[in-house]
Amino acid sequence: MQKDNNISPSSFRSRSAPKALVLTGYGLNCDWETAYAFELAGAEAHRIHINQLLMGEKIGQIARLEDYQILAFIGGFSWGDDHGAGVLLATKLLYNIGEQILGFIEAGNLVIGICNGFQALVNLGLLPGLDGDYRSRRVALIGNDCGSFRDQWVSLKVEEDSVCVFTRGLKNLELPIRHGEGKFYAEKPVIGRLLGENQVVLRYADSEGSPAGGSFPENPNGSLEDIAGICDPTGRVFGLMPHPEAYNHWTNHPNWTRFKESYRRGGEPYPQEGYGIQIFRNAVAYFR
Amino acid sequence: MVARLEITLKPDLFDAEGEAIRRKARDYFNIQLDEVRTIHVLTIDAQLTQEQLESARRQIFTNPVSQISSFRPLATPFDWAIWVGFRPGVRDNPGSTAVEAMEDLFKIRFQPEESVYTSRLYLLCSDRLGKSKRGYRSVEGIARQLLANDLIQQWRVYSGDEWNPDEGIGIIIPKVRLAHQPSVETLSISSDAELERLSLERNLALHPRDIPVIRSYFLQPEVRDARSKFGLGDPTDVELEYISQARSDHCNHNTFQGKFSYHDLSTGEQTVVDNLFKTCIEAPTLRLQKEKDWVISVLWDNAGVARFDQDTYYVITGETHNSPSNMEAYGGALTGIVGVYRDPMGTGKGSRLIAGTYGYCVGYRDYRGPLKPHLHPRRLLDGVIEGVRDGGNKSGIPTPYGQVFFDHGYMGKCLVFVTAIGLMPATVSGTPSEKKTTTAGDLIIMCGGRIGKDGIHGVTASSEIYSEQTPAGHVQIGDPYTQKKMHDFLLEARDEGLIAFITDNGGGGLSSSIGESSRFSGGAFVELDEVPLKYQGLDAWEIWVSESQERMTVAVKPQHLSRFMQLSHKHEVESTVIGHYTDSGKLHITSQGKTCAYVDLALLESGFPQWEFEAEWVAPEHRGLREPVLSPPDNQRRILLTMLSRANICSKEWIVRLYDHEVQGTSAIKHLVGVERDVPNDGVVLRPRLDSLRGLAIAQALNPTYSRIDAYHMVGCTIDETVRRLLAVGGSFQHLAGVDNFCWPNIQYHPESNPDGKLKAAQLVRANWALKDYCLGFGIPLLSGKDSMYVDGNLEGEFGERHKVSGLETLQFTGTSVIEDVQRCVTMDAKMAGDLIYVLGLTRNELAGSEYYDLFDYTGLNVPQVRLKEVIPLYRALEEAIRAELLASAHGIYRGGLGVHLALVAVAGELGLDVELAQVPSEEVKRDDFLLYSESAGRFIVTVAPEHKTDFEELFKDLACDCVGQVTAKQKLTVRSPGGKVLFRVGLQQLKSAWKKPFENL
Repeated sequence: MQKDNNISPSSFRSRSAPKALVLTGYGLNCDWETAYAFELAGAEAHRIHINQLLMGEKIGQIARLEDYQILAFIGGFSWGDDHGAGVLLATKLLYNIGEQILGFIEAGNLVIGICNGFQALVNLGLLPGLDGDYRSRRVALIGNDCGSFRDQWVSLKVEEDSVCVFTRGLKNLELPIRHGEGKFYAEKPVIGRLLGENQVVLRYADSEGSPAGGSFPENPNGSLEDIAGICDPTGRVFGLMPHPEAYNHWTNHPNWTRFKESYRRGGEPYPQEGYGIQIFRNAVAYFR
Repeated sequence: MVARLEITLKPDLFDAEGEAIRRKARDYFNIQLDEVRTIHVLTIDAQLTQEQLESARRQIFTNPVSQISSFRPLATPFDWAIWVGFRPGVRDNPGSTAVEAMEDLFKIRFQPEESVYTSRLYLLCSDRLGKSKRGYRSVEGIARQLLANDLIQQWRVYSGDEWNPDEGIGIIIPKVRLAHQPSVETLSISSDAELERLSLERNLALHPRDIPVIRSYFLQPEVRDARSKFGLGDPTDVELEYISQARSDHCNHNTFQGKFSYHDLSTGEQTVVDNLFKTCIEAPTLRLQKEKDWVISVLWDNAGVARFDQDTYYVITGETHNSPSNMEAYGGALTGIVGVYRDPMGTGKGSRLIAGTYGYCVGYRDYRGPLKPHLHPRRLLDGVIEGVRDGGNKSGIPTPYGQVFFDHGYMGKCLVFVTAIGLMPATVSGTPSEKKTTTAGDLIIMCGGRIGKDGIHGVTASSEIYSEQTPAGHVQIGDPYTQKKMHDFLLEARDEGLIAFITDNGGGGLSSSIGESSRFSGGAFVELDEVPLKYQGLDAWEIWVSESQERMTVAVKPQHLSRFMQLSHKHEVESTVIGHYTDSGKLHITSQGKTCAYVDLALLESGFPQWEFEAEWVAPEHRGLREPVLSPPDNQRRILLTMLSRANICSKEWIVRLYDHEVQGTSAIKHLVGVERDVPNDGVVLRPRLDSLRGLAIAQALNPTYSRIDAYHMVGCTIDETVRRLLAVGGSFQHLAGVDNFCWPNIQYHPESNPDGKLKAAQLVRANWALKDYCLGFGIPLLSGKDSMYVDGNLEGEFGERHKVSGLETLQFTGTSVIEDVQRCVTMDAKMAGDLIYVLGLTRNELAGSEYYDLFDYTGLNVPQVRLKEVIPLYRALEEAIRAELLASAHGIYRGGLGVHLALVAVAGELGLDVELAQVPSEEVKRDDFLLYSESAGRFIVTVAPEHKTDFEELFKDLACDCVGQVTAKQKLTVRSPGGKVLFRVGLQQLKSAWKKPFENL
């Protein structure tokens, strides 16, 4: 474990804390903040290099999926995003520990994929998992319509009827997106089923909280039906393009200095925690 | 066998990549295309079976939802097609990951001669292009100027008529074939002239003055004696390359270490300045280090180190990558940012990267004149922006801040500044993290990428003026993916206490990393045969000086080797023992089992003559500069809108959005703020430790146009602006740290080729004097800095003639400050209607070099000056006001002056401002236009809630500070003349659209 002073020995978690495995290596890069977000939410998070799962003995650092309850595929540029974002990460895992991951899901555990992690989940076929088929690629995240990488905060509408366990009790939230390949695409019948079966979890929204209707930049990448995140039929596998771990503190929000003036003049306290942590709290709460 | 796999989006899917090209063809060349579609090509040159190829196609390279693929041509009917691929030997990142993926899938190893090459085919549809020669020329123009750079890429153009749908592009394999048998050559030192001739012939760039010193060393009997024991006589090419690299201006900073005879022609005074670095950078910084216990390590390592909190340090440095970016914008800038990230990685025992920033100085994007730079500024800027985008984003390091400046002078050579910041624990396995050394017996390990011909002579080329003859070999393509893996690996090795010494392989390659690290132990023994190569056929000297990227040199104790290698394996990073450190006093290198270099390390430390420069200063008033005869404008409203639309003022949001500025989850104050999050804030703040409220403020400034009058004040204003930017967000006056990056035109006088060299030299001396004065005045230790000379180019004109174009004398200054609690930070946007607006600091008649004068093509004489005694009390009061949370917003007044910056405060807050100019604190400035557009230093606009009025005014009593108006709910900026008469009133929407218009389509 690196002693980088970034994550303090957690005082947040209780003894029954679920363990979260945050997958790192090969160009993935949101490991510190994702692990921190889980710790803040009360989980015990470990940053685990992909090769610890694949060849732990050879490198003297064994990690086993079955020791964990939550598996997090994080953001970053695995294999430099060459040949499609998340493609080579998915290939690597599928042909080495594909069965183990399926077993992990069957055992009732949780999987979250954020940004590059979402791209990996759809390339692994773990999402959308229609009809319990966790091996087929049915949806894709392709190049943004705007033609380039983009960093901006988006408003999101949480589909209240969604079966997703990570978003329970949430209605709207704002999070940053940071990607070049985030346009959600699938053929019409697939999209229809995702909507009909409540597997669409997050949609890009306007400032009023209604779906953006494809308008840029509210829908930053041209995603069909403004889809920003989906889950599998059980609600336990969740993928999203926005970054909830990057809203871990209230000062992450681009307008927090404006909110502060309102709080101050209204005599209200500052919120401290970022709203993105709610997603991780829901994951932890699932095991309580 | 060779197979060509083509992959493309399903026909009914929108091709965003193609659309971006269609748009650029229209915007750059006025070529109307109906549609552009892209096909990705993988040429697989390996012994794979049909089944393996098919399996790779389906399982790796094709997304069944969105793509189709085939080993046969996929091109649909088109009018023209362009194929673009790499030239042999150019780094092909996706090609490497394709190999990695197939090795993993099939559990095989590619043989050294097997490879995968990626390329692209673009299908252009437009019946307006025509099929004639003219059509070909347009398409060829798109290929050459938009899609490919002939330094690193090759292309082919196909017309729809001549296309063979069965053959397609055929098989194109850009494999490096070096028939060359590697060797080591001996160079004659029979005379100075002979060595000088060889130096020119071999592009060694030895300075003529160094030649006698080099000769006399190799002629010493005891040296010859010692060398003969290893079979050496005259110097080898490896040895001379080593000396040349180490003595280059880039590595040795001969200019800043030089001796300047400074003659002030206006006063007749003469001064000798011996060593600008020692007197103006080192001495003040050492003095400040004694006063400030937060300065941890400066002036020797790859980057400077300062305390962030009790048990964490931050590490910072800044670099430029001008020459390579000028030739290959994308690759140059990508290599620049990825390269500068290795500096903090190689500082102390290594730090984790937490931020990068950028600064670009280029010619005007819409330049339509006759000069023909290698790359048009528009294309150059686009390429540079994209290079830093890919380098930063793929490294997982936020790029939270940056700046762009346009000036004609940068047509000769552009400037690309890149800054890197890291974080490290104060101690690593119980030892101070900032300390490191090599000891005899330590193993020399090279980690990361392999060595090829790329980047050979990069260092010496950047010490030369650009011409079409500059060797193209020094262009590289950085690989952030390989480096990110190495970064993660080395931090883990650091924390296990396995690293004794670490430094990066940048300029000069192994020659410089081993050359410098071996001075600690007192020697090194290196076996070049052990060094992993990309391909065979490299001469020993090429291996020794190659600047192939993504490599670090690490000293590891023998007992730590096996664990180090285990971790290297875990992170899939190549690490190789290539020698060991010694205490022999010698640099001893072998190749093919024989000694090819045997040099005393001490050679570089003694005897080389100092460079000498003549500097002649002529005061601006004696150079013919004067204030223009200019009456105030009638239409003040239009002037403001015009100012807001100027290239150096207007919105550059498009760049900020391309950069991941919040990975790592640490962003506290972003670059873009305000209701619509689209107006740049003074500085940015990170919260690099997620478990802490402590913040690191970062800001940068550059003000090159003031150099037209006096580079002394250019530097003063640039440092002052950086300080104000830090203070405006909530930075602390007690902790102000700086990084200086000088970019200067050639200062060596030559009657024909550089007739104003003496003035440019005097400007450099004056700039350094200002650096010293203001760093001491504000208390800013220079944690790091670099200089890059020769910002000149010889550009071809309309008639085949060549013009020398020199860049403005430029300093980019980077500042950092530590903030106790980020929740006290302030942004620049007006927050609430009813708040009071104050202007702090005196406005003077200081418009020389300003945006306002530039609008009318004037330079002027009255350049802004920084008066330390006047501004410091004001800055301390401002710091206290922010600490006491009395301000709703704070914003410095920079380029463009009060008028421009009032507009930005209003636009960002979506609130009106009602301002009375008569209330603005000033020194004898009567004219409205001068009050609005003077660029006097030391000023701020702040807004204050009415309930804090008394406390605020108490803090600023006796200082230049006046209430100038009020924030209103009306969506208008109202500016009143003395007496309250409305000078002009303009809607915020109109201000915003004027400010956003120039680059709104990007």
